[in-house]
Amino acid sequence: MSRATLLSLGGLALLAVVPAVVSNPYVLHMLILCLLWTVLGQSWNLLGGYTGQVSFGHAAFFGIGAYTTGILVKTGMSPAAAWWGLLLGGLAAAAASAVIGWICFRLRGPYFALSVLALAEVLRLIALNWKQLTNGAEGILFIPAFNSKSWYYWIVLALAAVSMALIRFVMHGKLGFYFLAIREDQDCAESLGINATKYKLISLLLSAFFTGVAGSFYMNYMGFIDPGIVFSIHDISVMMILVTMLGGVATTWGPAVGAAIYILMSEVFRTYLKSGHLVFFGLLIIVIIIFFPQGIVGTLRETLQRRKRRLAAPPAGGPLKEAA
Amino acid sequence: MTNRRMFSVLAVAAFAAFSASPALAQGKTFTVGVPLPLTGAEAKFGEMKKQAYQMAADEINAKGGVKGTKLAFDIQDSGGKPDTASAIVEKFITINKYPIVVGEYTSQCSYAVAGIAEKYKVPYLVDTGAADKITQQGWKYIFRLNSPAGLYAKGVFSFFEEVAKPKSVAILFENTDFGTSTSKSMKEYAESHGMQVVLAEGYQAGAVDFKPILQKVKSLRPDIVYMVSYLMDASLLMRQSKELDLNAQAFIGGAAGHTLPEFLENAGDATEFCMSASLWTPQVKYPGAAAFDANFQKLYKKAPSYHAAEAYSTAFVLADVLARAKSMSSDDLRDALAATDMMTAFGPVKFQAWDKFTNQNRMETLVGQWQKKKFETVWPKALASAPYVYPAPRWRDRK
Amino acid sequence: MELLAQVLISGILLGGLYALIGLGMSLIMGVMKIINLAHGELMMVGMYITFWAFTIGKIDPYVSLLIVIPALFVLGAMLQKWLIAPVMEAESILPENQVLLTVGIGLVLSNLALLAFTADYRSVPVSYASKTIYWDVKMAGQTISLSFSFPMLVAFAIALALGGALFLFLGYTDLGRMIRATAQDARAASLMGVNTKRITYITFGLGSALVGAAGALLAPVYYLFPQIGGPFTLKAFIITVLGGLGNVAGAVLGGVVLGLAESLGSVYVSLGYKDAFGFIIFVLVLIFLPKGLLGKGRA
Repeated sequence: MSRATLLSLGGLALLAVVPAVVSNPYVLHMLILCLLWTVLGQSWNLLGGYTGQVSFGHAAFFGIGAYTTGILVKTGMSPAAAWWGLLLGGLAAAAASAVIGWICFRLRGPYFALSVLALAEVLRLIALNWKQLTNGAEGILFIPAFNSKSWYYWIVLALAAVSMALIRFVMHGKLGFYFLAIREDQDCAESLGINATKYKLISLLLSAFFTGVAGSFYMNYMGFIDPGIVFSIHDISVMMILVTMLGGVATTWGPAVGAAIYILMSEVFRTYLKSGHLVFFGLLIIVIIIFFPQGIVGTLRETLQRRKRRLAAPPAGGPLKEAA
Repeated sequence: MTNRRMFSVLAVAAFAAFSASPALAQGKTFTVGVPLPLTGAEAKFGEMKKQAYQMAADEINAKGGVKGTKLAFDIQDSGGKPDTASAIVEKFITINKYPIVVGEYTSQCSYAVAGIAEKYKVPYLVDTGAADKITQQGWKYIFRLNSPAGLYAKGVFSFFEEVAKPKSVAILFENTDFGTSTSKSMKEYAESHGMQVVLAEGYQAGAVDFKPILQKVKSLRPDIVYMVSYLMDASLLMRQSKELDLNAQAFIGGAAGHTLPEFLENAGDATEFCMSASLWTPQVKYPGAAAFDANFQKLYKKAPSYHAAEAYSTAFVLADVLARAKSMSSDDLRDALAATDMMTAFGPVKFQAWDKFTNQNRMETLVGQWQKKKFETVWPKALASAPYVYPAPRWRDRK
Repeated sequence: MELLAQVLISGILLGGLYALIGLGMSLIMGVMKIINLAHGELMMVGMYITFWAFTIGKIDPYVSLLIVIPALFVLGAMLQKWLIAPVMEAESILPENQVLLTVGIGLVLSNLALLAFTADYRSVPVSYASKTIYWDVKMAGQTISLSFSFPMLVAFAIALALGGALFLFLGYTDLGRMIRATAQDARAASLMGVNTKRITYITFGLGSALVGAAGALLAPVYYLFPQIGGPFTLKAFIITVLGGLGNVAGAVLGGVVLGLAESLGSVYVSLGYKDAFGFIIFVLVLIFLPKGLLGKGRA
C-alpha cells in the first residue's frame, strides 16, 4: 500500500462517519450534492480532461440515467427496489453513449462538443413530448425510499470513491496513456498504431456510465425530475465542465475541489446576496479562470512542481504525470 | 445541535413539535419561509409575489400584527429550479425551524416543495402552482389557495354551454406542467361534449414566430382558439393571429398570460375581444380587491397580476391562522389552516376535500374579456362587470 | 397551397434574422476557434439599448442601430482585450477554458440586467409592430392571400444588407484580409506582420456588433427580458456550423435553412419537436458535409 492509498482510505473512513456526527439534514444535503457533483466532475474529466474530448452535452447521460430510474418507479417498481436503477441507469447511459459516440466521434474539437450538445437537446425534446413514457413536462415524482439522509450520503460517497478509484486505476494503466496520447495529438497517436476511435469510445462509455449512475442517484434522492431539470444544458452540461475546470482538468482531486466550490459558494451567495447572487457567481468564475487557468488544483500543482525543480517549466502541453 | 445529535431527522421534527412553542406575544416576530424565483426566466412573477407578501405584511404589522406578534416573510431565491426550491425548504424547516411554508410560482417547484413539506410534516400553503396533482396525492400538510389548473377553464365551459355552443376548438399550449394540465381539461371537455378538437399541440415557450402553426389553425377553421400561454407567448400569438387574419368566434386564453397588464402593453389592439379564464380581476366584488389593486399600483407603479393577489391574500390567511392556532407548532398551524373559513381579496378561502382533491380551496373561475384595453369580467353573469361580445368580429371588419 | 406558401414566407423571413444572429458567432469562431456561450447575452444588451433609446429618446429601433452597433463593438472588443485574450494566452491543458469564461460573462451580463432593469418583460411598441402587407396572388383560378409582417421584412432586408457589407469588408479591405488571414493561420499571419492580437479584439467587437444589431431588429417583433439569451446562443451555434466557420454566405444560408426547418417542421411534423429539427439537421450536416453547406471555410 502506498502512502497516498492509505491517506485516501483514511480520508474515506473519516468521511464515512460524518452522518454519525452531523445529523442536520440540510448540511448533509449540501455534502451529498458536493459528492454527487464530484462523481459528475470525475466522469466529465475522464473524457474531457484526460482524453481531450470536450463534450457540451453530458446532460444527455445524466438525463437518461435519471429517467431510467424514474420510469422504473413509474411502471410500478417500489422506490426502495429502484436502487437497481443505479446500475441500469448507468448501463442505459453507456448504451446511448455508444450510439452518440458512433455519431459524434467523426468530429473533432468544437464540432464534437456542439454535436453532443445537439443530441442532448434532442433527447430533452423527446423526454418532453413522449408523454406516455416520461409524463412529459409534468415530470416524475415519488417519495424517496429513505427518510434519513445518511443512507443517501453513504451511497453517494461510495459512488464517488469507486469512480475516483477506478478512474485513477485506469489512468495509471496502459489505457490511461492511450487516452493522454489521443488528447495530446490524435494523428500522432494513430500513426503509432493506437486505434483512436476505439479508445475514445472506451473513455466515453466509462464517462457516460458514471454520469448515468449519478443521474439515477439524483432521481432516487430528489424524488422529482422533469426534462428541463435533468437535460439542462446550463445546469448540468455546462456545470459539469465548470466543476472540472474550476478544480483542475486532468487532476485526481480537481473535480472534488470544483464541486465543493460550486455547491458551497453558490449556496452561500444565494443565501446572503439575494437577487444579485448570480452576478457574483459569474464574477467568481471569471476570476478563477483568469488567475487559475489550469483550475485551482492544476495551477497549485504547477507552482509546486516549479518550486521543486527550480528548472525551466515543463514543455507546454506535455503529458503531465498524475499527481494527487 | 449537540443535545439532539443522536436523533434521526424525524425524531427532531417530532421533538420540535412537542416542545413548547412560543405563544403569540407583543414584540415577537413570526417568520414564514418563502421560496420564490427571483432570478431566471420566472423572476418577474417571483418579484411580483415578493412585493405582494411584503405589502401585506406591512399592512398587517401596521395594525399591530397578530395579537402583537409581527408577521415576517423570509424570501429566498429558488431560481425557479425544483431542486433548489426543495433544498431551501429543507433548510427553512430544519435550520430556521419555520413551522410553516408558503410560496413558489411554477407547478414543478410547488410540487417538489410539497413533497418535502409533507415528508417533514410541515404545512405548506400553495398559492400559485396549479397542476392538479399537487393536491391529489392525499397529502395531509399540503393546502392550496388557488384553483387547480384543470378547473381554470370551468367558467369557460359554462360559458360554452349557456352561450357559445361552439362546434370545434384548436388548442395550443406551452409545454410545461401548467400548460399540459390546463389544456388537458379543455381537450377532455371538448371530446365529452361532442366538440371537434381540430388540433392540440404543445409548444416550447419563448418562440419567435408562431405564424406557421397559426396558419395551420387558420386552414382548419375552428370556432374557438384556446391557448394556454405564458405572458409573451400570449402576446405574440394574438399579434400574429391578427397579422395572419386568422378569425375565430373567440380566442380564449387559459388564464396566465392572457390576463396580464403586459399582455395589453405588448399586443395592443390585437387583445380586443380576446377572452381568458381568470381567477381574479381587480373589479371582482370581493372585499379589499379594489383597494389592493389601487395600493399595489401606488406602491410599485405597476398593475398587480392575479399571482400578486394570491400572495397578498395568502398573507392574510396566515394572519388568520396564526390568530386561531393553539400554538405555533406545525401541527397546530396545520389544524388551524384546515379550519380556515374566511374572505380575502382573492375570494373566499375554505380548504375542503372534493373530487380527488384534499385541502383544496374551491373557487369560482371567471371569464374575462379585453374590451377597449380593459380586462372586463364577463362571466358568470353574477360577477360580470361588462356584457360579453360573442362571436368576435373579424379582424378586417374592425375599425 | 396557401398554407405552404405562408409557412415558407415565415421561415425565410425569420431565417434572415437568424442569419444575422449567426453571423457574429461565425466570425468569432472562425477567427479564434472559441465557443462563445455569452453570444445571446450580447444580443440581450443590444436589445436593452434599443429599448431604452426608444423609451427615453423616442429613437426608432432601426435608427438606434447607429448606437447599438458601435456600443456593442466597444463592449465586445473590451471583453476580448481584458478577459478572453489573457486566458487564451495562458497555457492550459484544454483550450476550452475560455468557454467557461464566456459562461461567467453571460451570467454576469444577464444578472446585471436583472438587477438594473428588473425581470419585467419589455417590448418596443413601435407604431408598425403589427403592420402587415397583404398580397393576393391568383394561381390556377384560386386566390391565395399572403401576409408579410412589415418589421420582419425590414429586419430581413437590413440583415442581408449587413451581411453583404461584412462580405465586402472581409473580401476587399486590408483589415478584412488580415482577419481572414488570422482565421486561416494565426501564426503565419503574425509572421507577415499582422498584429493578430488587435485583430482578435476587432473580430470580437465585430461579432458582438452584429449580434447586437440582430437584437435591435428583433426588438419590434419580439420582446425582451434579462434571460432572453440562452436559446439564441444555441441557434447561433446551429447556423454557424451549417454555414461553415467564418463563411458569410454560409451563415445567411444557414439562418434561412434553420428558419425553414423550424417553420415547416412545426406545421407538417410536430410543434413540440420544432426545435429538434434544427439540431438534427445540424448533426447531419456535421457528419455528411463537414465543411458546412457551401463546402468551404472550415479551417
